[in-house]
Amino acid sequence: MKLKLPQGVRVDVVEGARIAVFSLKANRLRTVLTTMGIGIGVATLLAIVGIIQGLNTSFHRQLATFGANTIYVSKFPWIIKGDWWMYRNRKDITLDQVERLRHAAPFLTALSPSVQRVSDVEHGGEQLSTVRIQGVTQEYLAISGYEVTAGRFLTEADDETTRPVAVIGTEVADGLFPGISPLGRTIRVDNRTFQVVGTLSRKGKVLNQSMDLVVFIPFKTFYSSFGKGRRIEIAMAVEDASKLKQAEDQLVGILRRIRSTPPGQPDDFSINKPEAMAQTYEQLTGALYGVAVGVGLITLLVGGIGIMNIMLVSVRERTREIGVRRALGARKRTIVFQFLMEAASVSAVGGLLGTTVGLGTAKVVSLITPLAADVQAGTVAGGVGFAALVGLLFGIWPAARAANLDPVEALRYE
Amino acid sequence: MSDGGNASKLIEVQDITRVFHVGGEEVRALRGVSFGISRGEWVAIIGQSGSGKSTLMNVLGCLDTPSSGRYTLNGKDVSRMSDDELAVIRNEEIGFIFQTFQLLPRETALANVELPLVYRGIPARERKARATAALEKVQLAHRMHHRPNELSGGQRQRVAIARALVAEPSMLLADEPTGNLDSATGEEIVRLFAELHQAGNTLVLVTHEPKLAARCPRAIRLSDGEVVADGPGREVALGIGQSVMAAGGT
Repeated sequence: MKLKLPQGVRVDVVEGARIAVFSLKANRLRTVLTTMGIGIGVATLLAIVGIIQGLNTSFHRQLATFGANTIYVSKFPWIIKGDWWMYRNRKDITLDQVERLRHAAPFLTALSPSVQRVSDVEHGGEQLSTVRIQGVTQEYLAISGYEVTAGRFLTEADDETTRPVAVIGTEVADGLFPGISPLGRTIRVDNRTFQVVGTLSRKGKVLNQSMDLVVFIPFKTFYSSFGKGRRIEIAMAVEDASKLKQAEDQLVGILRRIRSTPPGQPDDFSINKPEAMAQTYEQLTGALYGVAVGVGLITLLVGGIGIMNIMLVSVRERTREIGVRRALGARKRTIVFQFLMEAASVSAVGGLLGTTVGLGTAKVVSLITPLAADVQAGTVAGGVGFAALVGLLFGIWPAARAANLDPVEALRYE
Repeated sequence: MSDGGNASKLIEVQDITRVFHVGGEEVRALRGVSFGISRGEWVAIIGQSGSGKSTLMNVLGCLDTPSSGRYTLNGKDVSRMSDDELAVIRNEEIGFIFQTFQLLPRETALANVELPLVYRGIPARERKARATAALEKVQLAHRMHHRPNELSGGQRQRVAIARALVAEPSMLLADEPTGNLDSATGEEIVRLFAELHQAGNTLVLVTHEPKLAARCPRAIRLSDGEVVADGPGREVALGIGQSVMAAGGT
């Protein structure tokens, strides 16, 4: 006797496990089919959870490039909920308001108006389409998080004198000037010529939109080149993220005063923060998450009922065997263990199988689509553990039925 | 007189009743049965179907408990024991032999014989040695790795007997042990019982066959839930002599 368990329990566990394995092997096809119910449940759950976790991770990584200490004001919110026309009918933000805001809000570490359009950009024979042309001032650099890799960024003097100069993103630089330095050369945007004075660091994609297919020109140059009829967004930065909430509250008051919004009326502008976007996004995926987990749970429930069903069949099939075991000295507890072990092993095998398939699916999805699946260790452990638990839970009733059979009746069962 | 002093009686049954409730009706399967069986006896319990002999067998085998009365087995009052306690008693005191053999079909003869030892918590090595020895006793050691469906009826019943013997119980309890066998094979089994009796085992054999009961040194006849005869097997089985005794008393 190497094991130090009380003898009765040792018999229950060792014998229960032996019989469970024996019986699973004896009914291979049935085992596989039963297992599949649980397996599919776990696989569904893991695949969906993995994909959503992946989405969240990549979204957060993208948002991080925006900067956590930045805040933007415009007519439209970034994520429109409700009536588009209500936002459309708001008064435009004017350059005058931008200047008044600059003086009224000394807590901002940087502020820049920003206007944009999408155009084709050419140099020599090369042409790029759908490039974002953005008019900003010198301070925009600090807010945007780009770094200048060569030359310089736009200056106040560029803006004052409406110089036709441009600072370009990496994709524009690589696309129009392959292998040569773009500094000092010219690009054409809608028949207007700009001289490249600087290039920017790579920022990658946010929401599948390249942040590097971009041309920055001075704000006033933009106005004089492409007209004034465009929507102004105000980009701002505070010292650090902890000051953001306070700054937002103050900004609301200042902007209402500047735009003379009547008291009692709702704000006629939107304050946008990358951080708030993350929250909205998480609410969105959170709902999806809930639905997906619900579907997975229902599948598991169905799998569990499958296990219960097959265990009831197994108990009925082995009624005489149970009678014999009871006659030879098996206690009720021993019989319960035997069937619980069987149910739990089927489910655990299913859980393992489901985990493999689920992880595989998530992996394949991340390979063939832009979705980045990211399954965390906790999720896997949770999946397998949950499957075994489902098996145990749904095994209890059949096991109890087996143990409570009257030995006399069981022995007589045909 | 059965209280205390009389330790030689292995089985003491005193005024046992067993009442079933079937669909609101009371069925009195045993109506006050009393007898004693000593160590080393070979006793047949005989009766027509419906006489209560199966109920009595279940009570004697601790698969069922009496509604009233007292049943002492090997000095222990088992008539009021819990389910778990009865499981231990079955394991330690009783070796069952069934009409339909009741072997586990998927297990080998050896594994079947080992089963009572498993529930007693005997380590695997010792189990195997003891089960092999028991199979040798019934001349089946050479078939021990076969499954029941690879064995003849007589061989199966001998495996069952080995299983009953292996845990060295204080009595063997056989329920129509030859009922599913042809007469030649049945005869083999009866001879095996005689040998076991010679070797000092206590045997209780439940049957409706007078011919089988007649081979036993002692028989108890049951009718309508009462003992109507108790005496030498031949006389009780064939209804000759004056073996009809007052039930109870002893």
